[in-house]
Amino acid sequence: MEFPAALFPSYFGAGPPREEGGPAPVAGWGEHGQVLEGGPGRRQAQPAFVPRRGATGERWEATDAAAVPVLLPSAGCWIPSPAPQDILYRSGLCKKLRAGKSGATLDFARQLGHFFVDHPEDAFGSLGQLLHKNFYLGNSKLKVTVSRNSTIRMTALVEDIDRLEARRGCPRQHLASRLRWFSHLCRDWLFEVPLGLLADCLHEELMQQWSNLLFDDSLTGGALAWLPPEDGGTPVGRLVHPGGQAMNHLYFQDVALEELPRARGSPAQFELSGRVRQVAAARVDGEDFVGVRSDYHCGVWRVPGRTGAAPTPLQVIRTDVPASCLTVSPHLPGELSVCTQSGTVYLWSVGTGLQQLRHDPQTMFFRDHSPWRWSDFTAHPRVLSCADRTGLQCLDARAPKKCHFDLFKVGEEAGCQQGERVVLPMYLGRAHPSQYLVTTQFSVYVLDERLPLVPVLKWAHMMKAPPLFAHLMPGNPGRSHQVLLGASRTQELLLLQYRGGSQSACQLAGTPQKLHSIGGCLQHLPTQLPHRQHLLQQRLTAPAAGLAATLQEDGPHKSMLVFQLSEAGDVFCQRLTHKAAQPPAPPSRDEATTAPGSSPLFEAPASSPQGLGAAALRYHRWLRALSRACRESPRHTWHPSLSQRRLFTRRDLQGPAGPSNLQRQMRQRLHQAMQEGGRIQRWEPSAIQPPPLPQTLEPAGGPDPLSARLTAAWAGDWEQWWEERTSFSVAQRQRALRERRRRQKRARGHRSLSASFTSSLTYQSELSELSDAGPPLLSPGRPPILSQEGSPPAGSPAVRSPPTSPVPDEALLSSQSLRCRGIPKERRKTLRDYLSVWAEGPPEPPELPGSQASQLCIPSSQSQLSSASQPRRKRPRMGF
Amino acid sequence: SSHEHKLNFRKSKEACLSYIQDALLQKQWKRAAEFLTCYVESLEKDYSRELIGPSEMIWRIGTEILWHHSQSSMKEFNCFMEQMKTLGVKRYLKVCLEHVFHLLCNGQIDEAYQNLSLAESWRFGEQTAVQDKEMKLIEAYRGLLDYYRWYKQKNILLEHSEDGFSDLAVEQEMHGYFRKAAVNLKEIIKIPGVWDVFVKCYVDLLEFYGDHNEARQVLNEYAYNSKFPANPNAHVYLYQFLKRQGESKKSLISALKILHDIVPSHELMIDFNTMLQKSKKRKKRRLGLEVIFAALDYAGWKENAKAWSCLARQVKQIVISEKHLDWIKQEWNSRKDWWPAFHFSRYLAKRNWQENKSLSYEKALVAGILLGKDCKYFRYVSHQGCKAQLKRFRMLKKFVNRHNPVYLRISG
Repeated sequence: MEFPAALFPSYFGAGPPREEGGPAPVAGWGEHGQVLEGGPGRRQAQPAFVPRRGATGERWEATDAAAVPVLLPSAGCWIPSPAPQDILYRSGLCKKLRAGKSGATLDFARQLGHFFVDHPEDAFGSLGQLLHKNFYLGNSKLKVTVSRNSTIRMTALVEDIDRLEARRGCPRQHLASRLRWFSHLCRDWLFEVPLGLLADCLHEELMQQWSNLLFDDSLTGGALAWLPPEDGGTPVGRLVHPGGQAMNHLYFQDVALEELPRARGSPAQFELSGRVRQVAAARVDGEDFVGVRSDYHCGVWRVPGRTGAAPTPLQVIRTDVPASCLTVSPHLPGELSVCTQSGTVYLWSVGTGLQQLRHDPQTMFFRDHSPWRWSDFTAHPRVLSCADRTGLQCLDARAPKKCHFDLFKVGEEAGCQQGERVVLPMYLGRAHPSQYLVTTQFSVYVLDERLPLVPVLKWAHMMKAPPLFAHLMPGNPGRSHQVLLGASRTQELLLLQYRGGSQSACQLAGTPQKLHSIGGCLQHLPTQLPHRQHLLQQRLTAPAAGLAATLQEDGPHKSMLVFQLSEAGDVFCQRLTHKAAQPPAPPSRDEATTAPGSSPLFEAPASSPQGLGAAALRYHRWLRALSRACRESPRHTWHPSLSQRRLFTRRDLQGPAGPSNLQRQMRQRLHQAMQEGGRIQRWEPSAIQPPPLPQTLEPAGGPDPLSARLTAAWAGDWEQWWEERTSFSVAQRQRALRERRRRQKRARGHRSLSASFTSSLTYQSELSELSDAGPPLLSPGRPPILSQEGSPPAGSPAVRSPPTSPVPDEALLSSQSLRCRGIPKERRKTLRDYLSVWAEGPPEPPELPGSQASQLCIPSSQSQLSSASQPRRKRPRMGF
Repeated sequence: SSHEHKLNFRKSKEACLSYIQDALLQKQWKRAAEFLTCYVESLEKDYSRELIGPSEMIWRIGTEILWHHSQSSMKEFNCFMEQMKTLGVKRYLKVCLEHVFHLLCNGQIDEAYQNLSLAESWRFGEQTAVQDKEMKLIEAYRGLLDYYRWYKQKNILLEHSEDGFSDLAVEQEMHGYFRKAAVNLKEIIKIPGVWDVFVKCYVDLLEFYGDHNEARQVLNEYAYNSKFPANPNAHVYLYQFLKRQGESKKSLISALKILHDIVPSHELMIDFNTMLQKSKKRKKRRLGLEVIFAALDYAGWKENAKAWSCLARQVKQIVISEKHLDWIKQEWNSRKDWWPAFHFSRYLAKRNWQENKSLSYEKALVAGILLGKDCKYFRYVSHQGCKAQLKRFRMLKKFVNRHNPVYLRISG
């Protein structure tokens, strides 16, 4: 491990950053920075100088005019996260008034209003019922009766509110006196939750959502990983990415590296109990270790190197505070580092558990409010870096309190600007064992741990949004290393090259290059109908959520594949080919290709016999699948999927096991008929003892229904007979339904880890005793390695409950039947309402009152997403 | 209204800038140049109070374009730079410095020297003081160029003296360059920073003129002044100087000891280890073991055959003498939970065997002693070695088997 014999000159100061600044749009251009003598042959007649920035780099050219989808869009529409207009106060008048003033106004009142309308039970529950009689909702005047004294006419109040709404934003608005009087009177007691408390919670949530919109650091690191094929093996790598409507499914997809990467086979799939925020991977001893972070859970999978081998989940931990970082050790198998937002850093090894290295809610070098923490590995497998917004420190895991040093400080040491903050640190071990990348919102730094605090490379990246993702592609010795930076909100992708670190000092090579973003393909796509266009635009410009890339060498041809993941779960890819060094770059086609308006992507290349390029075909297929997925989606909104687990007890759902004798017989006959190619003219009684009518569902061998009914009527308990009959048919139906679902599930063949996430050993990560007590013991009963077949218990919710038979049996709704089925009284109405929703067919969405929906479903997290949020996507999901 | 006009102007300016940015990031230099000619208009109505004004933007963008544009020439570049210097007083010296850098990188050393001299004499009231840092750098770079001229003259002189005649004029010139270089170089290395090149050149000058005390002082200051960053090169230069001076082993060791404390993974640690291993003092040999163990902790040393042979040699020595086994034990204690997976996995055994037999030999020896004869690494390598009928490996197997009790003592 050599250290450059001479470094580029630089000043070194200490203390807080002095340079004022801000986002500078062109700060990265036109500077060599410094020069150093270091030509190939030293001490010639004339010294040869090399610049710190501006040396020639490798030439990479995009092969296509836009990024191309790798995977088809998943079924089910994507739920966009809240947009600024969802939570900001918008009013033409208000905007004018505030023009020039900076700062956004959160629309607090609207959100509170939403809450009252959507959750009246939670907001007013008991008092609403008590006051039921005292509120008159009619239009006519109240008659002078006894009730006059104790009843108020709400219509007038509502009118007042409407009028107020119309005058909203008017600087001279006055509250209607009636409203003021009413609110004065009942503000203190009307609400189920004290209004002040509720408002605090809501405000906190709104602020949270808004700050997430401005900068969402939970995505730091990115949720996309590429597991390259083994050296010399078939060119089939593996893409690890999240998917599903809630991004809570983890996929391991085999991808063949052809001209355009192509998904091969169906992916290995795991269902997790939270949104996947980060996927990190590292290869140790020929095996890939994949760490997955969601807010409160982190998991690790092992993926054997050979293609086709199934990934194995190894261990899951749960944290009380959201985790903000998960990185996988490139040195030791099954070692990871975890940080939580409470300022705790753990070294997590699959064999021995968690070891707390640091717990400090304060930031390191100066005070910063952000709870974000990060940690990564360094050249020494026992030394970890840990970072917050103010800088990086390295800790020795063997004595974390004593042995540490500062690696990077936001300050004069690195020549930072005021207000600069660390966004993403990354260990560049694959390029050089002691190098480190640190990005801030303004600049990108390369550090060498052997020379801490002084960046060996610094460059203002000029990106519009802070780079949350980075990917390194190490070059061969002597060649330049490629670093990709990616931003989330703006989807920017930037390719940088640098070299040096051991024999020569670090240099930035070539000019930075912008790569295609997902949204960039929009201009090349054929024109769509306006609303489709809007959907497409929304989908394609969704914030990026991850970045991965790989170098592919095919003899003399070298190319780079860059994958980008969007929040909608789309994975797009672009190929860049390496051009041999051509010192004077000819003004080639690149000046023309990306001129707006033209779309070379969809022009038929003359050489292609099919008429359309592979990329265009890819797009056609993707667009078709997308429109299909989106056409399906409205149906979900009409059919709120409800968790039946809460409505019925498990016993209720227990039906007779297996198909009945009769069914079996019928099936057999059907089968036989199909084999013989014959037909069944009528369901004639077979040898055994068939029931006379096909639609009856009584168990074979019972008396015919008519006589049974007559007998019952004669005996006087006809009602009970009816009940028995209906309950039987319900049970039958339930069983069929369950059977179908089981079949579907099996067909999907996914392996669910949701249960293992919750049932696995959980570390109370924030417990203080953990810090000194060493690695916690595994709970003795459970093996640390989870079975991958660990399917959830029967009651665990599936992705979406398949819709039941649309018309429920009327009898099911009768209160007697409900009572005798042991359904408590308070649930009966809910159930009836629920079933009537099915019965009425698709109701108009605006007419489906939010209250009803929220009251009806006590859904699992998934069904909540599809039922409650989908119809009213414009409103952000508040934590209620 | 004028306000609206200003707004519109700003908007179109920003749009233009974003087009330029876009073109630059896609390496469309021609397009960027076209847009830049439009952007120059913004200089006329510069309403901005931003830190980076349009003139700086034009300088930066223009420079970048001229670097890469296929039809640009050095003459054009110089012309552009001269214009840019006059455009902004606030960064006059910075533009000068960048101009010089470009000239240097293109091998135009004399032009660069001229520019540096010109810039050095620039005076502009307060601005000169504000741009003090740049001024110091300009002086330092001129000093550096003076040094290179001195160096050239020195070589000429040395050639001549070999031929047997001396050239007084050349010598005079050389001394002149020395004085100019020394003054400027001395100045910059007083300021905290990374000045590797300047320090090296200055020390070279001093050594040539026999001022070893000054040289030693400079190097000590550069290495040990706490205001300077912990630059490993500072210690390396000091060590190399001491070595050149023929200093005692003790002072060499103490210089390297400090380097070891700062950068345990430095490549000089091999020299350090060899030096310490040869020492007669127990303490030093002990330190040697520590040094080599610490170096091998780092990922960058994983496949360094030299380092492994150092460790193997010392471990072998200790095992044979059966003295100081506790040293190994102590070093091994803090490593036994992760070295096996880090260095001695079966995967690595296979790979090392395929890629570098002698590395796998050294590692197998260490593994056999530290982990016993049943360890995966040793077993794989010795098996392969015996299969390949290599005598070395058979000896290795015998050695480890004979000394297996050592393993029990170390691990116990």
